[in-house]
Amino acid sequence: MIATILPLIGRRLVMSVLILLIVSLLLFLVLHVLPVDPAAMSLPPTATIADIEAMRREMGLDLPLPQQYLIWLSHVIHADFGNSIHFRRSVLSLVGETLPATIELAVLSMIIAAALGIVGGLVMFHVRGSRKEPIADLGSIMLLSIPEFLWALFFILIFGVALQALPFTGRLDPQFRLPQGTGFLLFDALAAGRLDIFWSAFKHMILPCFSLGIAFSPAIMRVLRSSLIDVYQEDYIHLARLRGLSERRILIRHALKNAILPTLSLMGVQFGILFGGTLLVEVIFSYPGLGNLMVDAVRNADLPIIQAVGLAYCVVVLIINTVVDSLYLVLNPKLRVR
Amino acid sequence: MMRRWPAWLRSGRVLIGLTVVSAILFCAIFAPVLAPHDPNEQNLISTFVPPIWAKGGDVAYLLGTDSLGRDVLSRLIYGARVAMLVAVFASLGAMAIGAVLAYIAGYFGGRTDAVIGRAVDVWMSFPPVVLSLILMVGLGVGLRNVVLAIILVDWTRFCRVMRSEVLVVARKDYVAAARLLGFSHWRTIVREIVPASLPLLITLISLEMGIAVIVEAILSFVGMSVSAETPAWGQMIADARQYIYDSPWGLIIPILAIFLAVFGFNILGDGLRRTLDVRLTETQRA
Repeated sequence: MIATILPLIGRRLVMSVLILLIVSLLLFLVLHVLPVDPAAMSLPPTATIADIEAMRREMGLDLPLPQQYLIWLSHVIHADFGNSIHFRRSVLSLVGETLPATIELAVLSMIIAAALGIVGGLVMFHVRGSRKEPIADLGSIMLLSIPEFLWALFFILIFGVALQALPFTGRLDPQFRLPQGTGFLLFDALAAGRLDIFWSAFKHMILPCFSLGIAFSPAIMRVLRSSLIDVYQEDYIHLARLRGLSERRILIRHALKNAILPTLSLMGVQFGILFGGTLLVEVIFSYPGLGNLMVDAVRNADLPIIQAVGLAYCVVVLIINTVVDSLYLVLNPKLRVR
Repeated sequence: MMRRWPAWLRSGRVLIGLTVVSAILFCAIFAPVLAPHDPNEQNLISTFVPPIWAKGGDVAYLLGTDSLGRDVLSRLIYGARVAMLVAVFASLGAMAIGAVLAYIAGYFGGRTDAVIGRAVDVWMSFPPVVLSLILMVGLGVGLRNVVLAIILVDWTRFCRVMRSEVLVVARKDYVAAARLLGFSHWRTIVREIVPASLPLLITLISLEMGIAVIVEAILSFVGMSVSAETPAWGQMIADARQYIYDSPWGLIIPILAIFLAVFGFNILGDGLRRTLDVRLTETQRA
């Protein structure tokens, strides 16, 4: 089995690297048509024209575009993303500090989305053909119509402002300091044995994670429901019923096992979109992740950060896609024969 | 009378969707007539007036006023203009690019298909929100650029879905028959394949309009959409968020507007999908 899967995964990886190269080129081109001058921006306002010219030469901005791209690319390959114009710090360290926060947020949100989606899909499948079906269906379309940032604002209004039950800014209560470590706060807090920090971080994650989780669950519900309906048309379900298996066993052992595959591949696509969706949720909850860094950079026209963060988003999405595809190959024997 | 209406007009979902969307469209078109105030007129004496049903409401400001004393109802009505303009033009533009590429890829197959498929892969490796933000940085703010950014991000949605549809249709016998009769490629696509995939295309446009409304709201929320003088729903939310304790209604009202618009497009799309798609099985139709 492994022998048949590995070359497919390998091909997928090569593809990802190629995609990343094209993405980096596109990013470079889009951001170089900008009407701002990074050299002038990185100097104090008292700088003379000659200073700016010198800076332009130093930053390589006087070279032709293809050459600039190659220089940038070779720096990127050596993990050198340059310095932020606005923060005056290394872009790599800025991205390194914020990326774990965003990954933590995205993974927890995806778990919530998957749990809600699977439960919701089973409920929608259960009520099929009954009088409750139109209600469940309408409900899922309504859920589908509320994007994550509206949930975020809604939750802040209810749980933050009206009930004052949960915090809605940042990652920690102000009396705590970020523990040193991986940057994955929940993990670091546990590793340091600080349950108080863990609890504070956990409370801060509830609203952002549920905003994303609920927003991304209805699509999973609907796909699971329709693939369950498809699977139930198959002969082996009838056969299982003839063998006298209980409905619960048929659902869990036979139907769900097959119906989960399309759902899984949807979840892979969803996770990529969810990862981008964290951007606005982070801004709304003042959560110090990639999204907030990106929006700050956009407002300050901080090109090195925009390029690096854009690339970071792509790398994560490509990794997710590759993992999901590989998982799909492992789980679905039908795809192994090529 | 009802009998003679086409099936899609008898679907409850389509009717609900059409009603909601037409109501918003009506507001957008007749905004200058409907809005009781100038949306940008500030009245610094009466800021944070609550809506009429809350304590302290004022008949002059049915939905209250914001932090600068601007009439929320008028801003909401004018905001519908941006939302609808973006919804219509961005979805049509995205459809034009995505569908044309999908027809070419699905019909010709082979290397053409592979190239277009790779282009879609590259695009899909960018989360849509991030890509649209980066494009807005490159293009600069303004209504035309918002539409352009959404088109450049979302053509892949059409391309991906339509391509697999075209692949199925292009293998049908009647398409082969058309080719044997000596139809040109162009004529085969336009006369045989496009009509067969039209239901899906219409459904996708409706869903894309909802997505465009959301993306515009996101961009205007972070201040990267239309310029600040043009009222937009996302902008109203961003303003109101700073005064969440002073006036929660200022936040709730534009949230509801966005929800209603997206819900209208989604339920319309869902209704159209069910009534127009002949290949859906009976169980899914139920």
